[in-house]
Amino acid sequence: MKALFAEGVERPQLLLKKKLLLINWPFLALITAITLVGVAALYSVAGGSLEPWASRHVVRYCLGLGLLFVVALSDIRWWLRAAYPLYVLALIMLALVIVVGVESGGAKRWLGYGEMSFQPTEMMKIALVLALARYYQWLPPNRVSWPHAVLPPLLMIGAPALLALDQPDLGTAALFGIVGGGLLFLAGVSWIYFAGALVGVIVVLPHVWERLHDYQKERILTFIDPDRDPLGSGYHILQSKIAIGSGGLTGKGYMQGTQTQLNFLPEKHTDFIFTMFSEEMGFIGSLILLALYLLVLLFITYMALRCRSTFPRLVAAGMGLCLFAYVFINVAMVTGLVPVVGVPLPLVSYGGTSMLTMMIGLGFVLNAHVNRETRIRREELGPFW
Amino acid sequence: MTDRRDDKAREVALKLRRRFSRRAVLIAGGQAGLFGLLLWRLRQLQILDTSEYRLLSDENRMTMQLVAPARGSIYDRIGRVVAEDKENFRIVVVPAFCKDLKATLAAVSQVVHISAADKDRVMRAARRQSGYFPVLVTEGLTWRQFTLLSVLAPRLPGVRADRATYRQYVHGSSMAHVVGYVGMADKSEVDEDPMMRVPGFRTGKAGIEKSFDAELRGQPGTIKYEVDAHGRVVGQLGATPSVRGKDMALTIDQDLQAIALKRIEGLRIASIVVLDAVTGAILVLASYPTFDPNDMSFRVNLDRWKELARNKDHPLENRALRGVYPPGSTFKVVTALAGLEAGVITADEHMTCPGAYMFGRHRFRCWKRHGPGIDVHQAIKQSCDVYFYETANRLGIDRLAATARALGLGQIHDLGLVGQKQAIIPDTAWKKKALRQPWYPGETISCGIGQGYVSATPLQLAVVAARIATGRAVSPHLIAKSDNAPEPALLNVDPAHLELVRSGMVAVVNEPGGTAVRSALAIPDMQMAGKTGTSQVISARNRGFLKGWEGETHALFIAFAPVGAPRYAAACVVEHGGGGSHAAAPVVKDVMTEILLRDPAARPGFFASNQPANSPALAAAEAPE
Repeated sequence: MKALFAEGVERPQLLLKKKLLLINWPFLALITAITLVGVAALYSVAGGSLEPWASRHVVRYCLGLGLLFVVALSDIRWWLRAAYPLYVLALIMLALVIVVGVESGGAKRWLGYGEMSFQPTEMMKIALVLALARYYQWLPPNRVSWPHAVLPPLLMIGAPALLALDQPDLGTAALFGIVGGGLLFLAGVSWIYFAGALVGVIVVLPHVWERLHDYQKERILTFIDPDRDPLGSGYHILQSKIAIGSGGLTGKGYMQGTQTQLNFLPEKHTDFIFTMFSEEMGFIGSLILLALYLLVLLFITYMALRCRSTFPRLVAAGMGLCLFAYVFINVAMVTGLVPVVGVPLPLVSYGGTSMLTMMIGLGFVLNAHVNRETRIRREELGPFW
Repeated sequence: MTDRRDDKAREVALKLRRRFSRRAVLIAGGQAGLFGLLLWRLRQLQILDTSEYRLLSDENRMTMQLVAPARGSIYDRIGRVVAEDKENFRIVVVPAFCKDLKATLAAVSQVVHISAADKDRVMRAARRQSGYFPVLVTEGLTWRQFTLLSVLAPRLPGVRADRATYRQYVHGSSMAHVVGYVGMADKSEVDEDPMMRVPGFRTGKAGIEKSFDAELRGQPGTIKYEVDAHGRVVGQLGATPSVRGKDMALTIDQDLQAIALKRIEGLRIASIVVLDAVTGAILVLASYPTFDPNDMSFRVNLDRWKELARNKDHPLENRALRGVYPPGSTFKVVTALAGLEAGVITADEHMTCPGAYMFGRHRFRCWKRHGPGIDVHQAIKQSCDVYFYETANRLGIDRLAATARALGLGQIHDLGLVGQKQAIIPDTAWKKKALRQPWYPGETISCGIGQGYVSATPLQLAVVAARIATGRAVSPHLIAKSDNAPEPALLNVDPAHLELVRSGMVAVVNEPGGTAVRSALAIPDMQMAGKTGTSQVISARNRGFLKGWEGETHALFIAFAPVGAPRYAAACVVEHGGGGSHAAAPVVKDVMTEILLRDPAARPGFFASNQPANSPALAAAEAPE
């Protein structure tokens, strides 16, 4: 690697040993703690058994930890160069899903078959952050708010978001929007654009409504009034609210949740794991878990603020936004604040792809942190390569 | 220049970095704020509304299962069981909970024999349906086997020793028409009352079981189970016991009923009713052909059911209440009393019977040329048609009908059973209403001998016999009343006239020349009084249209005994049985003999209220394990 990127430009190369010292170890302890909450929850969901979820969750975390270190310790410039190609690759695969994707549960989200299948949207979440960071690393600071400089990132966000909507995957599309918009905001784009976008959304929303799939409309309608159809679409929200609400201040006790242990909840080991946790651990437990997440987010913000260069700064902040969007959408969903959109709770929900994606994302946060003092000059970069 | 541009660029970059810092903090603040929103939401759910959600969660996890109550027993007049719930011990297996169904069945068969066919059936059922659906292995276990299996059950996962009940009818077929039978609730009943959905719950389908279903049914108990989202039972949370249905005591004497039925068994279609002439209690209410209610309520055999429903002789029909027959000559006692009451005839008037009665150009035949000197006594004794043709003609239909009704004809004596028939006592008003025609005087003539439009049910005929015997407005009942119930009111007739009719009826059985003299009782110092009847199914002229059995006349007999102090009144109808004196009177004689020898009315009555509503043994048996 060193040989690959050393050509011509003189810059201080960090040694592996030095990099290890620069890694934010408390941060790692924090995410490990959250993962352990997930392991405990999965142990409870399985009715007091490591099988089938808790043990594999641990294995996946360890695998993810390996990837995290690989990403964290890798050369940041390599990623700077790989950002656009990765984004294009992700976009192609996302488009490919439409053509050859595997359908499951009424949505085409997967490429490949069986064990080898994966969701291009996961890759896009990382690639989008990298690509936007790469763009603002290249863009001269004085042009940040120029209309024709704002357009490319909008397209970069819009393309995957539309493709995700087509799958249809409302949750991921929203996530792209939140992360992309947040990054544009952080990159320094003028307030005026955001105000304009807000007005635009208000104008466009009715048209989007008409284009939504029936099941999406149904989800939104039952979200507004879950009693509409207590055994149909509203069932998930209602049962989830019952579970959380009946948990009370201190919860029903570990492994004592009747709603979850008695199977009233769907997808309780994946998207609805927070419900189970909250039923058993109560308001206090939920408060602690959310505090842990908030701490992670604050850590990420802190790490982003300490970065000298735009690219790592935006990468770290972007990953933070991504994590935040996950947590917020998931918890808001299970508590009935937003429609059920199928977003997992990072590090806690069972699921290989989301775990690995999240660990890679956090790897990039640490990579940014390791490279906080690294100076990347605009002159190093061409517009595309 | 370069420096300045560089400076400016650096300045812009710095500005942008500061903007980043500002906005990053802003976003972090926003994130914290949105987390606050989540916490606010959680507070709302978990602290403010928690009791409401806890309630919903409890409702979710609990399922209330109704427990079918034990049905009240039905007793006869002295407390012998007619119908009761019997316990049926069964073995049920839930395949999903078995480790190895085959091995489990083998283990069970060490205690109870399980036929290879049963094993096969269980294995097949386990493959075919959801594994959580219980499969019946075998039933009718002994108590010993049941307890043994109950002890073993915990060691055989999936096996359950199960206790269910079935309805047992002790004297099956003889009481069938009175008691009726029970069966699964049908759809309309289920819609009305969800309790009907309780597995093993039965409702009355006929007879007393149907009419007094509400009393017999009882209150269901509940068991609260903890269930998962699939409705699978995970544990039990509590129970309230079911309340047994009320017991009922009938006025029927089960033994006499069985004897009576046995007596008419040889006939094709016959029915007999015996009343306590003083109280109106029905002692015997038998109808043949009959059926076994045990076939109907416990594992209904569809072929048997179809056979019963299709049978030409309609065994399900209770003829004693629903059979409508022309009363024939038995009606003459009514005509006689009506004539005496109206004063159109007197005890002293003698008529001559030339064998036929001319009304205008129409000739009404008498069954025999009785000759001269027929007074009311002789007319009843010899059943002279001409005498009653003339009496009826003098009376007119309306006065005849009034007496007939006073004696209990043409009305439903509500026993609480469904489908009782009213039959017809015609008068001018009736004809106008039913046929929209005026009454022709000629029609009155045949009514005088119980033909024409006149019809009656065996129960009504028994009431006539009872009212003539006691002179009181006896009204029949089937459900036991307390002994000190008030005596029925006196009939509004001259006792002397009643005595005349009664002496005629005594002569029928006991004086030489009486129509039923061969059916006189063989008990010393005991006499039975009666009146035969032979009613035409169709007018004599058209007789040729019906052949064989169906063309035969109905044989009827009404009676009361003992003559001195009447206590029992009876009516018997043998469909197409021929002459009343040949076919019906001997039946009444035999049944009456048995009754007089046993004298059931002299025994203390039994009331369901004597019986504790919830006997401890049953309550204990009902309590859930």
